[in-house]
Amino acid sequence: MSKRLFFVLSVLVVASMALAACGTAATPTPAPATQAPAAATQAPAATTAPAAGGKPDACATDAFGCAVFKPGDTIIIGMGAPMTGDNASYGIDAANGAKIAISDAGDFQGWKFALDAEDDGGTAEGGAAVANKFVSNPAVVAIEGHIFSGATQAAIPIYEKAGLPMMSPSATNPTLTQTGSKVFNRDVFTDATQGKFAAAYLYNTLKFTQIAILHDGQAYGQGLAQVVNDQFTKLGGTVVTFQAITPGLADYSAVLADVASKKPQALFYGGYVAEAVVLVNQMKQAGLTNTVFFSDDGVFGQDFLDRAGANAEGAYATSLIPPASDAKTKFDAAYKAAYGQDAGKLSPYSWSSYDAAAVLIKAIESVAIKGTDGNLYIPRGALVTAVRSTKDYQGLSGTISCDPTGECASSGPVFYQVKNGQWVPAAGQ
Amino acid sequence: MEKTAVHKASMPVNTYRLIQIVLGVVFSAYVIWRFYDVFIGNPAYGADTWMRFAISGVVLGSVYALVAIGYTLVYGILFMINFAHGDIMMIGAFGGYFVFEALKNIPSPTVGDPHQVFLNAHPIISVILAFVVGMIVAAVSGYFLEKIAYRPLRNAPRLVPLISAIGASIFLENAALLLFGSQRRDFVNPVQLTRGTGWNIPVNGTTVILPYTGVLTFVLSVLILIALYLLVQRTRIGRAMRAVAENKSTAALMGIDVDGVISRTFIISGALAGAAGVMWGIHLGLVYYQVGFIPGIKAFTAAVLGGIGNIPGAMLGGMFLGIIEALGPAILGLPFQLKDVLAFGILVLILIFRPTGLLGEVLSEEKV
Repeated sequence: MSKRLFFVLSVLVVASMALAACGTAATPTPAPATQAPAAATQAPAATTAPAAGGKPDACATDAFGCAVFKPGDTIIIGMGAPMTGDNASYGIDAANGAKIAISDAGDFQGWKFALDAEDDGGTAEGGAAVANKFVSNPAVVAIEGHIFSGATQAAIPIYEKAGLPMMSPSATNPTLTQTGSKVFNRDVFTDATQGKFAAAYLYNTLKFTQIAILHDGQAYGQGLAQVVNDQFTKLGGTVVTFQAITPGLADYSAVLADVASKKPQALFYGGYVAEAVVLVNQMKQAGLTNTVFFSDDGVFGQDFLDRAGANAEGAYATSLIPPASDAKTKFDAAYKAAYGQDAGKLSPYSWSSYDAAAVLIKAIESVAIKGTDGNLYIPRGALVTAVRSTKDYQGLSGTISCDPTGECASSGPVFYQVKNGQWVPAAGQ
Repeated sequence: MEKTAVHKASMPVNTYRLIQIVLGVVFSAYVIWRFYDVFIGNPAYGADTWMRFAISGVVLGSVYALVAIGYTLVYGILFMINFAHGDIMMIGAFGGYFVFEALKNIPSPTVGDPHQVFLNAHPIISVILAFVVGMIVAAVSGYFLEKIAYRPLRNAPRLVPLISAIGASIFLENAALLLFGSQRRDFVNPVQLTRGTGWNIPVNGTTVILPYTGVLTFVLSVLILIALYLLVQRTRIGRAMRAVAENKSTAALMGIDVDGVISRTFIISGALAGAAGVMWGIHLGLVYYQVGFIPGIKAFTAAVLGGIGNIPGAMLGGMFLGIIEALGPAILGLPFQLKDVLAFGILVLILIFRPTGLLGEVLSEEKV
């Protein structure tokens, strides 16, 4: 009996040891790069002025004062992103892209940059909590993010009061730039921008005058289709039919036959990949033999190629993946070397994250003043203006020029076409 | 307000009848006017487009018909709606899918092509195998479904097996989700049956494709329906089924094994759903764990439309529904997204005028 008890006890002991080991392995300590150093102190113009002699005049006149960095301090760029949970891949990817931008930037006159990525869970409450944390840290001078639109919306008013400029690589909700915020900017295109560029590409580059538009009746697909419809008509083209389809079905041959009877040159579809595959597979059968299939970034991806096969040939879609360039090749290699997987795999925002961080760093460098006391002064109000007035910055994802509302992705989406079973950047952009 | 309600409640039967007739005349006049407008007055579509609509509708209708018969057979005998029937169809579709996947990996080198695979070298055998396997797995699932989910509730109130059926449907879908994953899979046909290829018929300056898969679906469906009709009308087991449908206890007194007949009914309806599933896969090319849900709902509608419990009614209802879905929006000038609204609207209309369905009268006399 006692032998048996001993056996049970020893099993329990071994099990608890194993569990304890797992526990430590599963909760890694935060990376030192994301730790905010406590040395930097904020020095608003009126109060607790340090060595008065070294302070530049800009700090006295700046609405939000200056961030002061002693030699050896680190300039922090904050990021609010979902770092845990279901959507963690977005936050991790954005942080990865931004870290590469920071290491590419090197140090500025001896001061290093660092990224502090805090977990906001992608929620509004999380966004506000992270924003409050950043606002109270004087070493944080700019924010990359937030990543999700909901969290961003909650965070904007907090940064607005503190004068922290933002650059989101992924918050695409159109209303974010319509509230008159001075601090919020984004270098990702919205659905409205995408639709506008798609209509222009169809009309100006592909020279189509008659298109049909289908959508799945959901917020993303219908919104996009509506923009394409309006813009294409405005440009002078004709939309021969504009219809919704019921998502999730396996047979759209009747509606496609209806579309075919109107003889469009192209069929634009606003929606996701599941229905797009069915549509593309049934187009020929429905009589749309020479009609070009054109869709959005909800359709772009390997899944479309795998499941539409030969029927996908010649189809267009938009994407955030920038066209090949030396800078992109270099970034992709650096990303792969640092994180062991390809850029764009975790989320499509790897490149815009890099650009967002690079733009912020450039703006910081343009306003930073080295005081005569050897400290670095960053006037916060001037930095907000500098980020908003970014012009013609050549990023990985295209030209970044901010308009007065903070929309900075001025080059729009990239159009891709299926050629020989691969997505390749389409001609004429 | 109250007054009209009272008035309505005490409305004499012939006033109600009159309203029905007026409604019917107005609706028919509208449909006839639309027909005139669409075909002669203001033709929106050429003959080629009408042919495409018709092909789409007839093929879909023949699949609905096969599934609808499963509902009707079970209802005729047990007076319950087998809501898991669409999921039996899904199981059949997966059966056919895995047969094709397996045959795709069996090398069968020929003189011309050393990399030829069995699926493409012997398309007829492959298709037959897919149907046989799909029908067998679906029939076996139908058998066990009845045994596990319905037989213990044979004498329970009628709502109870209905709830059990919904539970079985959810169970089957989730079992498939766990076994096969959530991704939509492509049903890879033999090259000879590639979707979108078929006979090219020149109409109106363009070519209308009559797809091979669609013709296969239609012909097979009609053959199966004829075979089923003969089975029910001309064989001993068919006679036993009809007897059980008529009156279970009398049938038992006559020496008929009622439980055995019910089991066989579920096997037959499962096999039909399995065949429909494989057809769905071959013609439309999508298989996933919820693939049976929408056809199941549509086929149930078709069965009610034709008169539930009536085999020719289910066939007619299925065909009718498929054709309405494809041609209805075009004729009435509605957006195609409203095809389901139209189909269910017509169901409501038919139930108002003929509560027993299109061929429902036969039900009360013969049942199955």
